[in-house]
Amino acid sequence: MTDTVTQLCTLLEPFNGNGTVISATTDISTDLNIDSVTVMDFVMEVEDHFDIEIPLNVLSETRTVADLAKVVEARTRKG
Amino acid sequence: MKSALKRTTDTDTTSGSVTPTSNRSLAQNLAGFSTLVEGLDYAARGVTGFNFFSARGQLQHVLPYAELRRQAISTARKLLSLGLKRGERVAVVAETGPEFMAVFFGCQYAGLIPCPMPYTMYIGGKDSYIDRVAGMLAAAKAQTVVTGEDLLGHITEGAARAGARRILTHAELQALPEAATKLEPFRAHEDAYIQYSSGSTSNPKGVLISQAAILSNTRGILQDGMRITPEDRAFSWLPLYHDMGLVGFCLSAAMGQVSVDFLATSSFARRPALWLKLMSDNKSTITYSPSFGYDLAARRINGDAVTLDLSRLRIAGIGGDMVRADVLEGFAAHMSVAGFRPQAFLPSYGMAETTLAISFVDPDAPIRVDSIDRLALKLEGRAVPAQGSNARSFVVCGRPMAGSTVEIRGERGETLGARAVGRIFVRTPSVMSGYYHNHEATAAVVGQDGFLDTGDMGYWLDGEIVITGRAKDLILHNGRNIWPQDIEWAAEQIEPLRSGDVAAFAVENDEGDDEVTVLVQCRLQDEASIESLRHEVSAVVHRSAGVECKVVMVPPKSLPFTSSGKLSRAAAKQKFLSGEIAELSVLPLIDGASRFEAAF
Repeated sequence: MTDTVTQLCTLLEPFNGNGTVISATTDISTDLNIDSVTVMDFVMEVEDHFDIEIPLNVLSETRTVADLAKVVEARTRKG
Repeated sequence: MKSALKRTTDTDTTSGSVTPTSNRSLAQNLAGFSTLVEGLDYAARGVTGFNFFSARGQLQHVLPYAELRRQAISTARKLLSLGLKRGERVAVVAETGPEFMAVFFGCQYAGLIPCPMPYTMYIGGKDSYIDRVAGMLAAAKAQTVVTGEDLLGHITEGAARAGARRILTHAELQALPEAATKLEPFRAHEDAYIQYSSGSTSNPKGVLISQAAILSNTRGILQDGMRITPEDRAFSWLPLYHDMGLVGFCLSAAMGQVSVDFLATSSFARRPALWLKLMSDNKSTITYSPSFGYDLAARRINGDAVTLDLSRLRIAGIGGDMVRADVLEGFAAHMSVAGFRPQAFLPSYGMAETTLAISFVDPDAPIRVDSIDRLALKLEGRAVPAQGSNARSFVVCGRPMAGSTVEIRGERGETLGARAVGRIFVRTPSVMSGYYHNHEATAAVVGQDGFLDTGDMGYWLDGEIVITGRAKDLILHNGRNIWPQDIEWAAEQIEPLRSGDVAAFAVENDEGDDEVTVLVQCRLQDEASIESLRHEVSAVVHRSAGVECKVVMVPPKSLPFTSSGKLSRAAAKQKFLSGEIAELSVLPLIDGASRFEAAF
C-alpha cells in the first residue's frame, strides 16, 4: 500500500460503521454504507489533512480508495 | 479535537467588503413590479446585492445588484449574438456564483427562458448525473447549455444524449461579441424560467413559471411571509437549482433589494458549521434550511457555539422536508449560548409547482406542535389530540398566503373541516403555467377548477395547515425528493433481476425519518449469491440515488400489482409491514441437511 492509501484508510476508519476491512479497492460510497452527507464529511477531512481542494466533478468520478489516492497525489504535487 | 471553524488561506479572495444591508437613498419596494427585469432595474439603483463566500469561509465575490444588472445586460447581448429566438431555453448549471446569476438574469433581458440545472455532489455519482442532465435537457427541449469548466465533460456527454448541440463554458459565453440589437426583456404576460424539481430521473418534468407567478410569489414571501424590512440581511447555502434556493433566496431577495450572503451547497456539506459562523459575522437576520441542515450544523459546531452571535437572526425558516420538532428543539438548545431565539423558527409549506411558497406561520409566533393519536390517523384519517407513546407530533405550517385558497379534500372530493386528514389542493396566482410541453402530466395535477393537487396529505387546525405526509409514492430524504422508480429501475438492471422484481418505498422509523426500503423478488437459492445480490442492489441504489437503503429479499411473485399491471408500492409496503410479505433470508438459517430435504 502506498503512503497516501494508508493515510486515507486511517481517515476513513471513523466512518466505517459496519466493520468492513478498508483497503485500496474499497468502494467509498457503497462498501461502507455511508450516506452522501457523511461522505462529504470524510471529503472535508481529506481536504484538511492534505490541504487540498477536490472539485465536485473529480469527486463524481472517484469510487475507490485507490482512485482517491490518485486524486490526492495529483493535487498535492500541484500545490 | 480541532476547531470546526478552522480557516486556511484561500487563493482566490477579494479584499473588498460585503454589500451593505440597507439602501440609504432608495426606498424599499417589496416586489411591487410586474417583471423580474423591472425588479432588478429598481434594485440596481441602490447599493445592496449578492456576496459569495468560499468553501473555507472567505469572501470571494461581491456582486451589487447594479453590477449584476450591468453583467446581465451584457450577457443578454452575447446570448443573442448566437441567433437564439425569443422563448428559446438556455440550460445553465446553477453553481452558486456570479456567473450563474449573470446568465439567469441575462436571459430575462434577452427574452430567453433559463433552466437552472443541478451539479453533481456525490462521490462516484458521474453516471447518474449524466442521465439526469440528459433527461432535463430533453424535457426542456433546450439546444443551448452553459456550464463551468469543471463540469464540461459531464455536460457534454449528457447534452450529446439529449441532442443539445451548443455547449458553452461561462468563459466562452463571455468572450462572445455583444449583439447590437435592442434588448426586449420579458414582459408581464410572458414566461420567466423553468424549474426542475419534479419527476423522476428517467422522466423529469420542467415546471414552467411565468413572470406573473414569480412576482406574485415573491411579493407574498417578502410582504406576508417574512415581513421584510430594510434592516434584513439574508444568508443561504441552498442550491440555486432548487425552488427554495432560487426563489426564496435569490429572486425574492432581488425583488426586495435585500442583500444576501451565499455559501455554496457543496461547501455547506463539507463544513456545515461555517453557515452559523458566517451568519454570526454578517449579522444575518434571515436564513432557511430543511430540518436536517439545522441538525448537521448544531452537531458540527462543537464548543464554538459560545463564540457566535445569532441574536439578530429573526427568521430561521424550515422547508423542503417534514418539519421535525425534536430536531429544532435540539438546535435551539445547542445554540442558545449564541443568543439564538427559538421564536426565530418559521415553518412553512410550498413546492415548485406553486413557484415556491403556499403557507407561512406568523413570523413573530413561536412554533406550534400538534400531538395526535397514531392509530386514529392511520385507520380513520382523523387528527385526534393525544399524548404519550401512541401520539405523533406534527409542526403546524401556517395560513395560506394572501390571494391563495387551500382546500383539504376527502376521497370523494368533498372539502373537509378541522382535524380531518385529506389531500391538499391549492389555487394561487403563483401556480405554474404547466409542466413544459407535457399537457398530460399538467392535466393530471391541475384541475378544471384551477386547483393544483399538491400530492400532500394534511389537516386544518384553527385555520392553519398541518402536513402529515405524501399521498404520492415520493421518498423524502434530507430535503431531497427521491423517486422510487429511479431506484427500482437501477436495481432491475442487475442480473438476474427483471422489470417488476423491485419495489422501493420509505418506511418511517421511530424518529420520524424516512428509511428507504427496497424489496427484491429473489429466485436465487444459495446464501452466497443472495448476499452478493443484496450487496449489489445496495451499491446501485447508492450510486443512483445517493442514499443508504435496507434491501429485503422476498419470494418470487410476492409483490402486488394493480389491475392495470402497475406495481402497487402502497400495497407492497402495507403487506411488508404487516408481515404478509416475509423476508426470504430465513431460508439460509436452515442447516445443510434440512435444506437438502426441503429441495425434494
